[in-house]
Amino acid sequence: MSLADPRLHGPAVTETTMPTSTMTSAPKTRASNGNGTRRRRHHAEGLEAGKRSTRTLLWILLAAAMIFYGFPFLYLLFTSFKTPIDTIAVPPTILPREWTLENYTNALGRSGVLASFINSAQTAIISTVLSLVLAVPAAYGITRYKTPSGRVFIMAALVTRMVPPVAIGIPLASMMSAAGLADTPIALSIAHTTISLPLSIWLMSSFFEAVPKDLEEAATVDGCSRLGALWRVVIPVVSGGIAVTAIFAFLASWNEFLFALLMTAVRSQTTPVVIANFQTQFGLDWGSMTALAAVYSIPVILLTLLLQRKIVAGMTLGAVKG
Amino acid sequence: MSTRKTINRFTAIGGLCTAVALVATGCGAGGPTSSGSAASTVNVLVEAGGHAELTGVAEQCKKDAGIDVNFVELPYDGMFNRLSSEFSSGNVSFDVAALDSVWLPSFKDAVQPIDELFTDEAKKDIFPALVKEANVDGHFIGMPAWTNAEIILYRTDLFEDAANKAGFNAKYGYDLAAPTTWQQYKDISEFFTKDGMYGTDVKGGVETEWLAHVLQAGSPMVLDENNNVVIDNAAHKEALDFYTSLTSYAPPGAAQVDWAAAQNLFNQGKTAMTRFWAHAYRQIPKDAPVAGKVGAAPMIGGSAGVAGVPGPWYLSVPKATKNADNAKKFVKCAYDYNSLGIESSLGLASRISAFEKYQDKAGYESFGPLISTLNGAATATRPATEKWQQIVDTVLVPLLQKAVAGGDSTALLADAKKQIQDLLK
Repeated sequence: MSLADPRLHGPAVTETTMPTSTMTSAPKTRASNGNGTRRRRHHAEGLEAGKRSTRTLLWILLAAAMIFYGFPFLYLLFTSFKTPIDTIAVPPTILPREWTLENYTNALGRSGVLASFINSAQTAIISTVLSLVLAVPAAYGITRYKTPSGRVFIMAALVTRMVPPVAIGIPLASMMSAAGLADTPIALSIAHTTISLPLSIWLMSSFFEAVPKDLEEAATVDGCSRLGALWRVVIPVVSGGIAVTAIFAFLASWNEFLFALLMTAVRSQTTPVVIANFQTQFGLDWGSMTALAAVYSIPVILLTLLLQRKIVAGMTLGAVKG
Repeated sequence: MSTRKTINRFTAIGGLCTAVALVATGCGAGGPTSSGSAASTVNVLVEAGGHAELTGVAEQCKKDAGIDVNFVELPYDGMFNRLSSEFSSGNVSFDVAALDSVWLPSFKDAVQPIDELFTDEAKKDIFPALVKEANVDGHFIGMPAWTNAEIILYRTDLFEDAANKAGFNAKYGYDLAAPTTWQQYKDISEFFTKDGMYGTDVKGGVETEWLAHVLQAGSPMVLDENNNVVIDNAAHKEALDFYTSLTSYAPPGAAQVDWAAAQNLFNQGKTAMTRFWAHAYRQIPKDAPVAGKVGAAPMIGGSAGVAGVPGPWYLSVPKATKNADNAKKFVKCAYDYNSLGIESSLGLASRISAFEKYQDKAGYESFGPLISTLNGAATATRPATEKWQQIVDTVLVPLLQKAVAGGDSTALLADAKKQIQDLLK
């Protein structure tokens, strides 16, 4: 809500749009009604003060929430600039006593780090595209053709989310190996799609639900086929939702650890496994681990910033249905 | 229309990215080979911390035998799952695996015998406990790559301080020096527990240290040679009572203290002594308050003498590899050039001759105590049972956590005996 919002300045707007005839008699009215005006002004000031204090309270709550959510990442970031002895200080310190970039040099200079970044990107991109390609038509079909089998299908998709990944990780690794896909990003992408696809279908279903059927019918009347209406009318409307779904699918793959641990070796190891390798039986290199984790989070932060508007639009899309 | 354009743009970018990604997928970015099918390439699966130990060996093996080595590094916590998964599937992505000693019995059927590498000369140059452990069901199935054991690390600046020396002698009636017995360890811990400092740590989160005390008290660990559960015998109780008695001289929260916490406490100067793996001596950060002020001594002894629990890693060759010949050549290289591991950041080896070569050099003062501990009369490896890791995770660590929190040792040991018997049924 902007400061020029009429809902905030109701009386002023009324006064400026007042007809001229009324304007001439206004002083008299005001003079004869001095106590009431004062009371109104006091009342308005009280309301303004109340709004100000509410806003301050909201800002405080917002700041507290931001600190609560952001602190772990900030701590990670600060730790990545600490010297080795600072990282293990007892009691721990938040800010580095001495700032250093050595951890970044060590982490990025480690063999296999660059390759792991490329592998992570490949895997996440393929997995995201696979998820969208499968989830968009599946969700559209489920929401537009409300059949019993569709309902069973979407529930079944939800149930697959309840299976612990470790239970399917080992069979999946064996299957990929038998298919000749062992230690390839495509195998890992397929595995990651099993995680992101159910969520993608559910998300896309809620976005499609929010799109009035009238839009498609109008497009059909104008000569579009069913698929044409989906492509030309519905998908542009839910583009924010697709962006949200893509972000979730990308993040699910980008940060996934267990399948990457079980299914990758020399060629396709992803960065989460490399980050975990800083914890060894002989000690934990906090500095390098946090430095690599900080670098690894940059692409995701950039992606989120890039798609911010789409995400906000997508988040509110489901809220206007009905 | 602008939305359509955006959609089209995203579609185009997405398509391009996918195409690039799919093209690149053919080989992955990590390297051209994934299995050891290429005749001159060997893939070695290794815990991330052990990678450095074998890097020098790999370079030497390339020169001597023309074998290229790819390392597959994994975190310790995930390695057992990965090994289980690949061994059970019959398809392995590696030709050599570095196995923690506790896993050898679990994977004995999945790895090949390498008896030919254990010549008489080799057996003489490997610590007796490791030779025994490497032999499972009559065959040698793993070549020790490096080994470790707990020794005593102590603060030389505190021990050599004149006031401390005089004060200690006046209170306990003998000179302050690195402890050799349980009683000395307890006395020194008590003496240094003052002014916000503690004499030692007590690790409730790991079991190995208590088991070393069990050996020092004259009993095999948990199981006897016939696999009878002996965890409730007098030696186990004596060791447990000694272990928990030190909590008065250790930082609070012993139940949660593990290796990392204990190492931090010592490096930060919060404890005067620690019983810790020998490699930690060379890993004290240069900017630590205790850097240059640490001495090393053999593990303390009980009624049965000095004893430690070795922590070796073995190189094994999976039965499923198609590259067994080169894999065995690499294992032989690792034995021949074992001392190269000492030059690594970890600084460990498995051959007695390798440790002896370095023990008198500056910076390697921990090697003498390590050799003494590994050669200790009562030093022994962990019981060779497939259920060992399960026994540790579900019985021993919970037992210790309850004990250091004040639990009754007799009742806890009796309860542990029942649980272990159930696990072994």
